[in-house]
Amino acid sequence: MLATVLGKTVRDRWKATAIAAFTLGLVLLMGMAVYRDIDLAVYTDLPEAFRALVNIPKDADVGSLAYGAVYGSYGALTLAALAISMGGASIAGEERDGTIGLLLGNPRSRTQVLVSKAGSMVLLTALGTVLLWGAGLIVPVLLNVDVSGMQIGALMVHMFAISIFYGFLAMALGAWTGKRTVASGTAVTVLLVSLFAAGLLPLIEGVENLAKAFPWYYYEGSQPVLNGIDWGHLSVLIGATVLLAGASFVVVNRRDLRGRSVGVTLLDRLRANPITQKVADRIAGSARVSRIWIKTASEHQGVLIATSYIMFLLMGVMLGPMYTFIDDRLITLADSFPEVMLAMVGGGDMSTPEGWYQVETFGLMAPIAVMVVTVTIGARALAGEEEQRTMGLLLANPITRSTIVREKTIAMAVYAFIVGFAIFAGVALGSVLGGLGMSTGHIAATSLLVVLLGLAFGAVSLVIGAATGRVRLAVYATIGVALISHTLNAFLMLSDSLAGYAKWSPSYYYLTSDPLMTGMDWGHGAVLAGLTLVLVAASVALFQRRDLRQG
Amino acid sequence: MTTDTHSDRTAILTASLTKHYGDVEALIDLDLDVKAGEVFGFLGPNGAGKTTMIRTILDEIRPTAGRASILGMDSHERAVEIRRHIGYVPGDLAMYPNLTGRDTLTYFANLRGGVDWEYVDQLSDRLDADLSKKIGDLSSGNRQKVGLIQAFMNRPEVLIMDEPSSGLDPLMQREFQAMMREVATDGRTVFLSSHTLSEVQRVADRVGIIRHGRLVAVEYVAALRSKAMRRVELEFGSPVDASVFEAVPQVRDVVVYDHRVVLSYDGKMAVLLKTVAEQYDIVDITTQEADLEEIFLTYYRDEVTV
Repeated sequence: MLATVLGKTVRDRWKATAIAAFTLGLVLLMGMAVYRDIDLAVYTDLPEAFRALVNIPKDADVGSLAYGAVYGSYGALTLAALAISMGGASIAGEERDGTIGLLLGNPRSRTQVLVSKAGSMVLLTALGTVLLWGAGLIVPVLLNVDVSGMQIGALMVHMFAISIFYGFLAMALGAWTGKRTVASGTAVTVLLVSLFAAGLLPLIEGVENLAKAFPWYYYEGSQPVLNGIDWGHLSVLIGATVLLAGASFVVVNRRDLRGRSVGVTLLDRLRANPITQKVADRIAGSARVSRIWIKTASEHQGVLIATSYIMFLLMGVMLGPMYTFIDDRLITLADSFPEVMLAMVGGGDMSTPEGWYQVETFGLMAPIAVMVVTVTIGARALAGEEEQRTMGLLLANPITRSTIVREKTIAMAVYAFIVGFAIFAGVALGSVLGGLGMSTGHIAATSLLVVLLGLAFGAVSLVIGAATGRVRLAVYATIGVALISHTLNAFLMLSDSLAGYAKWSPSYYYLTSDPLMTGMDWGHGAVLAGLTLVLVAASVALFQRRDLRQG
Repeated sequence: MTTDTHSDRTAILTASLTKHYGDVEALIDLDLDVKAGEVFGFLGPNGAGKTTMIRTILDEIRPTAGRASILGMDSHERAVEIRRHIGYVPGDLAMYPNLTGRDTLTYFANLRGGVDWEYVDQLSDRLDADLSKKIGDLSSGNRQKVGLIQAFMNRPEVLIMDEPSSGLDPLMQREFQAMMREVATDGRTVFLSSHTLSEVQRVADRVGIIRHGRLVAVEYVAALRSKAMRRVELEFGSPVDASVFEAVPQVRDVVVYDHRVVLSYDGKMAVLLKTVAEQYDIVDITTQEADLEEIFLTYYRDEVTV
């Protein structure tokens, strides 16, 4: 049983791990190649406070820069996300699919099933770690880069520990609630908040130690790639992981297993109440099903609310006043940054409020937030209905396949604009509260560009879903495309001779024009919008020609 | 049960319809002509190609060769126009778990552009369906009822249903059969795919039998019923000789076990008993309706050698 369940889970999921490791290895190759060709003095001359923030060691060289930039954050984020996806699904996923009863119909206990699932998660995370480790050793040899003194092994051990920590966090939440989306959603939120907090808190005088409350600190805080394994930090992570694993086994045995039944939402309760029934019926019932796009949108309210809330409050409003508390050493850096440096951190010059917001909010978090929404909708738009076996019923109605693509695209666009508005409103309000005096028009322009970028990647997932009918493939492939697009742009911009090629990356058309300082670049906006339209048109063509899957 | 309301108009027509999935031949040269106003039963064992045929004529998947039309309209070129006139219950029905039955029907009504809600309520009463619960909280039989209402609610010209009575209890199955007959009486058409001979016998005018992707026969139900073969087991006071039974017309597969004999028979029982009783002393008789598979194998052995 143990081996059977473990084997099946590994078979179901090893491809994602392999693809992720391959993509990251490729990105590392790209990064090192570019770093090798540029003058690194621009990094080593930077003031210490800034170097600490963007993870550049004092005696930075090609190896440490590339490992730090590619593996330090992306690598760990990717492995942790994969572990979360597996951990959250371990028991809750079988409950959602209605297969848990069948599984437990065999003479095996819940504990045994959970052990198998945990085993497969640890095994696949280890596989990912080993593949990344291998890539990290091969790439410098291929490029003839000297990485002596770099402790990549130590980095990988820390990366493995932080990844399974998050995996077990999701597993414990799933074992406790039986809800897969709650488990992985909460774990991802904790992951992002802790990444953000561990990077930011040390910059604020008086609260440096608070960073220790966040798991990410124990991954990167000791800079394992330079200093080797920090056994103290590592044992904190392992201890916490063991606690979470223990908690999973306790809670999963104590509760009623969920059937395939769907949850009760607030609207359902209002509908059941005679006083509120009429209004609630209109919102939850007739209004929700009046159009395909409205119904599609209503299915993804959760992800919209979560991302809009985080972007508005945490990444928008709160960062404004926070800027005024930040270490003065950062602010005195004004003007001293070489152009080439700015590109790497998303073009942000931390000595200005615009640069601050660019590094913290717009550089990475805003595109991720919009993409979470657009790719969630885009990948499921067509492939989701096929996998859920509802597409046949939908297409028994007198509507064309292109109508369905159009309606789903509308839902995706509406949601992207709502998240974009939350970003805009949060940053604009943060600027007012912090007295930063940023231009509202420029904030709006940047928010519009991030919406257009997110829509382009959403359209990538739509087109893959339209061509294949497979949700998971659409999601993972789009993440791969986005990762390559982002790093291609960031790295190529650093090299004078290669900068021209950055134009092939969609990410180039987002921040390259420096919209927070200069306002809207309509040309760049048009490129992104055009790309989206082309991809949507391709989705129609591909979807129309294809046999529908039967689920 | 057979009525003559159906005319010569054609509801569903396929010509050399063929569908391959890679090397697998799911449908082979299927020629079928379903008349308007009839209940047509589409019979076949699991995996015979019933669902593939339905998905092809509904333009969910595209034929490798051949063509199909519904109400005279090409199934691919005029797919949207066709869908105005059909009701569809997919096999292994799935709907949106977080919508209630009524929300689901409203959704499809909006996509169709209007539905007679009084009629929906009538259908829901007849099937004893609960439309206020979420689909995800319904048992499979109750979910099936919502699927049936969804297909019937706009009074379609052609109803296409893939194993529609799965999960329904016997009482509901009877009500559902009555609903299908009413559709035919109305001059509209029902295309019913099933693997249960008894269900199809009760409701259909004609049946088509499909096996390994080939249409092996189209029969009037009345004719098929006269062929209905039985397994007969006879017990005697003394040992018997097989040749006596083999001599009786319409007897097949005779196996003798000393005092007992087991055989297949599709003639009149009186003929068999009379012949046998002349020679031997019958102690006991058990008979059993042959299952669909046996009828297939007996009557269509030549066609199905694959």
